[in-house]
Amino acid sequence: MSERQALAYTCAYTPLPLIHAAGLVPHRLLPTEAQEAPDQAGAHLHDNLCPHVKRVLDRALAGALPDNLAGVVLMGSCDAMRRLADAWRAWRPDDRVFLADLPATTGPEAVSFFADELGRLARVLEEWSGQAPTEDRLAASVELYRSLGAAVERRRRRAARGELHGGWAELQRLLNGAVTGPPEPLLDELQGRGEGAPAARARGTPVYLFGNVMSDPGAFAMLEECGVRVVGDDLCTGSRQLTTLDAGPDPDGGGGLSWLARTTLARPPCARTMIDEAEGLAGRLLARARAAGARGVITHVLKFCDPYLARLPALRDALREAGVPLLVLEGDCTLRSMGQHRTRIEAFVEMLG
Amino acid sequence: MVYLGIDIGSLSCDAVLVDEGERVVAWRVVPTGARNLEAIAAARRGVLEQAGVDEVSVAATVATGYGRNRVDGRLAAVTEITCHARGVRALLPGTRLLVDIGGQDSKAILLDGEGRVAEFAMNDKCAAGTGRFLEAMARGLQVELADLAELDRQATERTLTLSSMCTVFAESEVVSLIAEGAAVAEIVNGLHRAIAARTQALVRRIAPAVDGLQVAMSGGVARNAGVVSAVSAALGREVSVPAEPDTVGALGAALIARERHG
Amino acid sequence: MILPYFESLASGIESKLAALAPDEPVARKRFALEIARLGVRLFSGRERLAWCGVLAPFDLLHGLGVTSCFTEFVGAMLASTGGVEPMLEAAEGRGYSTDCCGYHRAVTGAMLQELMPRPDFLIATTAPCSGGLALNESLARHFARDLFVIDVPNRGPDESSVAYLADQLRAMTRFVEEHTGEPADPGRIGAAIERSNQARELLLEVYGLARARPSPARRRDLFNFGLVVSLLLGSQSAVEVARTYRDEFRRRVEAGVGGAPGERVRLMWLQNRIQFRSPLEEALEGLGAAVVVDELNAVTWDAVDPADPYPGLARRILTVPLVGAVDRRIALLRRLARDYQVDGAINPCHWGCRQGSGARGLIEAGLRQAGVPVLNLEVDCIDPRNFAPGQLATRLEAFLELIRARAGG
Repeated sequence: MSERQALAYTCAYTPLPLIHAAGLVPHRLLPTEAQEAPDQAGAHLHDNLCPHVKRVLDRALAGALPDNLAGVVLMGSCDAMRRLADAWRAWRPDDRVFLADLPATTGPEAVSFFADELGRLARVLEEWSGQAPTEDRLAASVELYRSLGAAVERRRRRAARGELHGGWAELQRLLNGAVTGPPEPLLDELQGRGEGAPAARARGTPVYLFGNVMSDPGAFAMLEECGVRVVGDDLCTGSRQLTTLDAGPDPDGGGGLSWLARTTLARPPCARTMIDEAEGLAGRLLARARAAGARGVITHVLKFCDPYLARLPALRDALREAGVPLLVLEGDCTLRSMGQHRTRIEAFVEMLG
Repeated sequence: MVYLGIDIGSLSCDAVLVDEGERVVAWRVVPTGARNLEAIAAARRGVLEQAGVDEVSVAATVATGYGRNRVDGRLAAVTEITCHARGVRALLPGTRLLVDIGGQDSKAILLDGEGRVAEFAMNDKCAAGTGRFLEAMARGLQVELADLAELDRQATERTLTLSSMCTVFAESEVVSLIAEGAAVAEIVNGLHRAIAARTQALVRRIAPAVDGLQVAMSGGVARNAGVVSAVSAALGREVSVPAEPDTVGALGAALIARERHG
Repeated sequence: MILPYFESLASGIESKLAALAPDEPVARKRFALEIARLGVRLFSGRERLAWCGVLAPFDLLHGLGVTSCFTEFVGAMLASTGGVEPMLEAAEGRGYSTDCCGYHRAVTGAMLQELMPRPDFLIATTAPCSGGLALNESLARHFARDLFVIDVPNRGPDESSVAYLADQLRAMTRFVEEHTGEPADPGRIGAAIERSNQARELLLEVYGLARARPSPARRRDLFNFGLVVSLLLGSQSAVEVARTYRDEFRRRVEAGVGGAPGERVRLMWLQNRIQFRSPLEEALEGLGAAVVVDELNAVTWDAVDPADPYPGLARRILTVPLVGAVDRRIALLRRLARDYQVDGAINPCHWGCRQGSGARGLIEAGLRQAGVPVLNLEVDCIDPRNFAPGQLATRLEAFLELIRARAGG
């Protein structure tokens, strides 16, 4: 395979198969690798802005970006991401940046609009890579990412059962690797490796994780040190990445992009997406936490994340009513901020009994 | 056989010994200072001396507080949350809400009918509402911490409100108030009510309503009757304070040592 | 609590207006009266009511027989009357983060205190911000009322975005029909749009006149003007208010009379004003400065076709400077700075405003390139609890010294 260029991205809603079908390697800009980049984002934007966005911007400003970068695709998921696009364009004007409009609603008009947007993205990707993401290529890439998602999910289930060597930290390392390099070799490895070495019997209190960005494997190692055994997650750097897109043709008979738009908007949602379900975010969380056999829920959200912060009180009420203990932690994508929560996490584990 | 609980806080290191029957045999408080290993050793030595027993009689030790992982030979390190709950359960059975205001942090713990932790909230980022706040204010007022409760009693208006939520700004606000001629007693009363307001906000995170809840306070700041009465007024509930409120955590740790040892 | 406030406010202003001599300023009072009357309608419990996001099409809703308002209005009103602190505390007590926008926290608190009138339905907009969207979602749940979400694209008014948004506005009309049980009357809608266009023409004149030196606007004449006038669009009162302002400004400009005393330094104000009582405007006047233009007091849309308003309304929403890339916002700010010959700009950087203040650095850089110095204030426009007037005064003084030094040197 000839050397493919990388395509940087930041959001779990990014249509990875489309990028792959255009002959590019999607590379998620993880905030954890930004430790070395000096803190400049606050001056260019504002200090009180999403730490994820700030750290990604710091990486960009410090040039800590993948080699052989064709361009950057940002999803218009929230105010902070839109400001990231503004800052990137202003301070690195030679980079190719595409900001994709991402509907907050998921009905048929939104799907149709988003399908058009994906079409625009497809044409831009082709310009950047010289390879058109044709229907056939897209179908093949979708299949590849579906297999990758399934393989990662199998690992995740083993981690949830406490059977993955290295625990959830290892799972996160795997996931981080899966989104920062070519998917093919990793898929081969995961499929070829079989079940892998069995782990020692897992200990710890079963807890479900909910929230947004938590990509540092060290954070999961710390949770385990505090006596937590993660049995499931709803994090955008966790299970909301590489979800297995639903199979089957588009019921409306549309082509690949229409299907891709529909399935992308139907993925497990970030709080910025308006969910139609009557019970909303809280109901989904309760159902998943119970199904995973969790004794409690730890919510980890980034500071200044309006979509999540606004939903926390309702979440708290719903979990309290259902008798499910909840611990809310705010973070800033550093292990230091997680470390400050050690006592809370240990106290929570002691409380769960 | 005795059981040892050690609470290594940022300001003081407290040690409590209980016997098989869960009765307190001795207790000791030493300043933590810069070297907590030495403080731990001093507290340990001191409490054993007080009890007139030697090291071999200690069947098990449980450590709590921010330095809990530095205690050698411990059976377990248990958080202050769980230890305070256990301690107050022994001292004031039936307590459902415990407010602990320490030197650097404050906690609110909701207990269930069996005295187990049902929910908790911690403020360990901001000095407002903690002992540190009072220290800074006492400095600004040029009074002793120990005199605050008496000064509060002398206040007659009891309506002065600080506008600053932040400890740093509040200190300068206090200085300005003095310059403008406000009475020290009224300022002190205002400070106590400010702590009570922060406490109320912390409590609300875990208990939207406190009607019918038996409330207790622990931590060094609970020795200040002015704060206790302000918290009581803010919550609209009577507040009980155990004797030696700053040793509740260490007592809880000792009792947990007793339980876990079997 | 709130209804009597608006009722007495309205009757108080009516009395003042009746007692005015013919040459006394009247425009702001007329505007204030219409706001008070809107407040009465919102809180009376007698009207068909929709709580909305900032970018909802209020003129269209007026034409559909709905009394509508963006929720943040209530936050601003509570702050201006000194009644916002208990609302903020109520919201914070329930776990709403103090890191988030005070407008939204204030309205949430009012909702929790059962002070928000129950709407018939809600119409949220995904722009300008996520916080506003979440607030309407929360109100919808609290009141068990249906929520219609207008998803506003960010690219700008290209064909595809206009079509998408126009279709949603048509769907919104159907949603309103279902909830009112009344079919939409194209004649009534057309009339509302025509009045909205009339008001727009008059607003253009008002803003044009406001460019004069000295500015014909008195201290608070245009405070919250553009933003709140958008609530009145579609009604005759918007036309009359705009006309009154136009006439009054024209008289002053013709007489060469300035509105604010001693205007030597001309300033531009970004986004929203500080809503609670603060010594800001007084302090500025004392320093020989005046705010001669607000970012939100600009007509950025074209007239809308009364026979088929949807594409025009969509374009209007898409060209609001707070929507989309910050370049468009900076371009507008530069144009305003030029047109109004400002010496500097003040960005309050409202606490928790991710959408607006999130671009603080870019806006400052963009304006500096155009030779306009910017003062960033970092205030909460709604929450007076941490407001430090002394610090504000120091910053203003230092900024004005900087401006004077540049002018002199």
